[in-house]
Amino acid sequence: MITVNYFGNIAEAAQSNSETLDKKSMSLSELLDLLDSKYAIAQFPFQVAVNRKIVSKQQALNISDSDEVALLPPFAGG
Amino acid sequence: MKKVFLEGAISPEFIADSIAKHQGKHSIGAHNIFLGQVRADEVGDQKVVAIEYTSYEEMANEKLHEIREAAFEKFNLTCLHIYHSLGEVKVGEICIFVFVSSPRRKQVYEATEWLVNQVKEHVPIFGKEILDNADHQWKVNS
Repeated sequence: MITVNYFGNIAEAAQSNSETLDKKSMSLSELLDLLDSKYAIAQFPFQVAVNRKIVSKQQALNISDSDEVALLPPFAGG
Repeated sequence: MKKVFLEGAISPEFIADSIAKHQGKHSIGAHNIFLGQVRADEVGDQKVVAIEYTSYEEMANEKLHEIREAAFEKFNLTCLHIYHSLGEVKVGEICIFVFVSSPRRKQVYEATEWLVNQVKEHVPIFGKEILDNADHQWKVNS
């Protein structure tokens, strides 16, 4: 299972804060394509964190079982 | 891991208590405090009435821990505290409280500025600006 967490306007688009995908393994770009087809996330500016570390969206990265992915809109602390 | 996130606005009493807690630390000669207050920004013909904060807390806490460690490396500090609100904070209320203490004055100004910038740039906190007419928009730090 891959966990994906959503925040801000992306959580609104997904109508959820979090979901688990029943996948053993997929590349980051496959995952982002899948999420774009579900929620049209490409319209939003966002960064990606894998296991709580920011990664480049273009990075050739394999996401596997038990990884935690998060889509993070621009930060607005303070 | 130090507790940073508080539910709702940060009260003046909480801030006063934090200052009082340092009176026993006699190596300190200077404190500096930054308080961020929710501003009634105008959005078209509407005004912001509150900000509702959310965070990716696990990541935020890891990041805040790194920021704290880096600040102690970079500046000569006796202690530092960062508090940030989650949930609704109304216009005029305090949403961030950064409190830096050092034996001497110079370092606390620089450290406070650096810390606030780090929090704004690197900590995954999100702000939903609630408008007069109950519409909302998502805050972006400029």
